[in-house]
Amino acid sequence: MNWKKFFVAFIAAFIFIFIFEWIFHGIILKETYAALPPGLMRPAEEFMKHFFHWLVLGQLVFVFFFTMIFASFGGGGAAAGARYGILVALLGFGANLIQFAVHPLTTRVLGFWGIGGVIELAIAGAIVGAIYKRSSSTTP
Amino acid sequence: MKRFIAAFTAAYIFLFLWGWLLNGILLKDVYAQTPNLWRTQSEMLGFFHWILIGQALIVFAFVMIYASGFAGGGVIAGIRLGILLEIAAIGMRMGVYAVQPFPGKLLIYASIGGLIEMVITGAIVGAIYKPPAARTP
Repeated sequence: MNWKKFFVAFIAAFIFIFIFEWIFHGIILKETYAALPPGLMRPAEEFMKHFFHWLVLGQLVFVFFFTMIFASFGGGGAAAGARYGILVALLGFGANLIQFAVHPLTTRVLGFWGIGGVIELAIAGAIVGAIYKRSSSTTP
Repeated sequence: MKRFIAAFTAAYIFLFLWGWLLNGILLKDVYAQTPNLWRTQSEMLGFFHWILIGQALIVFAFVMIYASGFAGGGVIAGIRLGILLEIAAIGMRMGVYAVQPFPGKLLIYASIGGLIEMVITGAIVGAIYKPPAARTP
């Protein structure tokens, strides 16, 4: 494994995921989450004071292993990365469907998670793929 | 394609049974401590088909990822993919824990259960799915 390229890909994908999720969940879906049954989400103040670090740590863990799995393939460029990201998003959407079945979430939340997840991970995969290419195509 | 379907079917049967054992029996009392986070039992029955579709999607994506980059490595490669995907899922679960008021022990139990689930799923897929070139004529 090319660790230098791995870490560059990991950091670039993490920055993208952090910003995307802040815009998507923190701004676009803010009103949608506010309409969910009371008690289902932590109050904003509690989240910011005591749980924000869990969110960032979780994103770091996710992106690190998302990048590691792709690097285990041996890389493959932006298109291969985007395809890989879409497959991981499908896996995540499967988990979202189960969450929808057991938590009192709305179909609106489920729909947004499905669409947002595919966009997010297709782009994150493309970033990782563009940076972590196959060694044969990166060495002169 | 035949082996893809066989790997998918075997892994799906395992995932369904494990999900039922872990969530329906082993963690039942832990879930009961936070009733406001869950649909009622009768309501959940009406949403049961979403669980089946969700599990099918998880297994389908798992086998596709395995076939895309890990095929040929057998059981060990399958287990490796399962571990890597589950640790990534633990990251996602930590994000959910940050925004939803789950007890910390549920995060731990679900992650241990998820790790066992993905290791065995990976072993099943790795044992059954072989890439065309690796198959004996």
